Amino acid sequence: MSALSPLPVPAAPAEVPPVLAGAGFGTALGLLRRREVQLLAAILGLFALCTALHPQFGVSSNIAFILADSAIIMIVGVGQTIVVLGRGIDLSVSPVLGIAAVSIGFPASASNLNIWLGLLIALLIGFGLGIGNGILVSLVGIPPIIATLATLTIYGGFQFIICGGYSVINIPAVYTNFGSANILPGVPWLIVIGAGVVALAYLFLTRTVTGRSVYAVGNNADAAFRAGIPVRRVLFTTYVISGVLAGLAGFIYLAQIGSATSTSGSDGNTNLMSIAAALIGGTTLLGGRGGPVGTALGAVFLSEALQAMISFRINELWDPAGVGVLILIAVVADRRGSPVRHMLRPPLRPPAKAIP
Amino acid sequence: MSTIATSPATRRAPAQTAGRQETTWVVTVTVLLVALLGYFYFAVPDFRGLGASGILALSEQFLFTGLIALGEALVIFAGEIDLSTGAMASLSGIVMAALWQQGLNIWLAVVVALVVSALGGAVNGLFVTRFGINSLLVTLGTQFIFSSVATAVGGNSPPYNFPKSFVNLAGTGTVGPIPNQLIGFAVIAAAVWLLVARARYGRGLVLIGYNRAASRYSGVNVQRTLFGAFVLCGLLAGVAGIFVSGYYNAARDDIGDSLLLPAITVVVLGGVDIFGGRGRMSGVIVAVFLLGILNQGLLIRGNSSLTATMVEGVVLVLCLILKIALDRRAGVRLRELLHRRFAVARAPAAGGP
Repeated sequence: MSALSPLPVPAAPAEVPPVLAGAGFGTALGLLRRREVQLLAAILGLFALCTALHPQFGVSSNIAFILADSAIIMIVGVGQTIVVLGRGIDLSVSPVLGIAAVSIGFPASASNLNIWLGLLIALLIGFGLGIGNGILVSLVGIPPIIATLATLTIYGGFQFIICGGYSVINIPAVYTNFGSANILPGVPWLIVIGAGVVALAYLFLTRTVTGRSVYAVGNNADAAFRAGIPVRRVLFTTYVISGVLAGLAGFIYLAQIGSATSTSGSDGNTNLMSIAAALIGGTTLLGGRGGPVGTALGAVFLSEALQAMISFRINELWDPAGVGVLILIAVVADRRGSPVRHMLRPPLRPPAKAIP
Repeated sequence: MSTIATSPATRRAPAQTAGRQETTWVVTVTVLLVALLGYFYFAVPDFRGLGASGILALSEQFLFTGLIALGEALVIFAGEIDLSTGAMASLSGIVMAALWQQGLNIWLAVVVALVVSALGGAVNGLFVTRFGINSLLVTLGTQFIFSSVATAVGGNSPPYNFPKSFVNLAGTGTVGPIPNQLIGFAVIAAAVWLLVARARYGRGLVLIGYNRAASRYSGVNVQRTLFGAFVLCGLLAGVAGIFVSGYYNAARDDIGDSLLLPAITVVVLGGVDIFGGRGRMSGVIVAVFLLGILNQGLLIRGNSSLTATMVEGVVLVLCLILKIALDRRAGVRLRELLHRRFAVARAPAAGGP
């Protein structure tokens, strides 16, 4: 192996971005096999069904609510997706979100912190805490699930300390107006930010060397290393990005909810919901497959499904169960050789080689 | 793991080195526990003031976490994970309490609750073995479902104030200075230890985590072994739920939520590789007390519970850094040995039996 000189980035065919690779994009059948398309159909189908049964479901304010409600999970989920693509996991996003929310919340309510400065601080906090995760995973070499489990408790402690028993209330109207404003009827500003994050993440993953390396590392870190990819640096970057996006989500949380406490982030189960959005969006926890677009649709679908449960008068206590069932459906559908995949498999292609 | 080597020349050295690493870690954790007890005993007057029975009684605060950790360890040994144990503990406590409220005998209710939790574990196991889905995903999903069911069963005001006999036996009672829960935990921990360290089943379980293909070739029934691990994990989480309810004399639908992460922490602290196949059950059992005493000692020292939790996280990171350093030192030896052995005898080593 030592005879091989380090290669540049693996030569993925330039015209097929890795996110779309192996999708059989050309045929209608191939399109149907893509999780993004399935999800979009599910979102529209559910919307049509609910609107037919409850006309109130289709009004623009409800659409705006669903979209705005999905923004936080969408943004955190995109960060989570990038980490998961590198075969990692980030369990510490909820306290990062919470710390960002309370750290800008207190100065904002006490001394009217400039909103742009607040945004900057939130991003910097996410950046710093993401570096902490990155060091533990990529430099020290602790398995990601354990490293971020540890930082989950440590960062959670920071959040409590920052709060010191107080909660953030009385946010300046600049923040809350931003959180509730619509750019068009039915299209809140928050979802525009979410879409922007998704677009940037998509460009990052498909058009930059580091972004493509994330897929390579997630597929096979050993092979990526031998191909000359700086595996540790790539992994480090994924955790920093996840941290920054969680920080951004903290800012949005503050603007949207208008308050923050020592349990913000954790109480909404942001960790698991972000992983759920990624899974439902077709990103596998084994790394190397999936992408931010699916995650974004997954977040919208989750939000829509929960809203649909409300309109069908299903008791709120079954919300988690709804999320759980969606996760199970997503993973069963994703399984190699599952009936769904089998039906949608394009003809004339040999079945995937089974691993004995 | 010493059984999987293929020739006399390769049988001993690598396996021994790996085994020695694991033993080193169990010893390290034990030394840490003793040092911690010594520190609290001599440096914290309030801790000393508790006396022997008081210190033993502290265990009632963390043994339910320990029970979940035992089950979690079984699953992690096989290279899987169960995120639904916390919700399962809540569900078990709630089912028991609700049935008792309906007029069922409390002990019968306990049995039903344990059956329910074993069934929940079986559902996880079924998804993992029959459908071949990653356990992290399955249990992430079922965790949400179990917790919803627990909320639904519990209703608005979950029951409390159980019969004295139950609270005494499963909760706060003692035999002399020894809490009943500690006795119960000791019995269960001994059984689980025997299962992993001394029984054929446990050998297979750890081997599955070490190398799934190799375990299949050596005649381990991978599906059944894994399924069993999930059922046992669910069952132990159920027992933990009963312990919690007994200790607090109340059932709550979210009582187990906070138990999952500490339990995984305990397993990792005990030296079990999160990717399976390596570690010792004895390490996990010691780690239950290490983390528990750390937490309780800090609380008695006057630290807030949030500081205690943060310290737990820091200790986890430090212990892992220490373990990685120890493993690396041994790993260099291991790699050298492997290199020396297998460079000359690669052909026989490559073929499976």
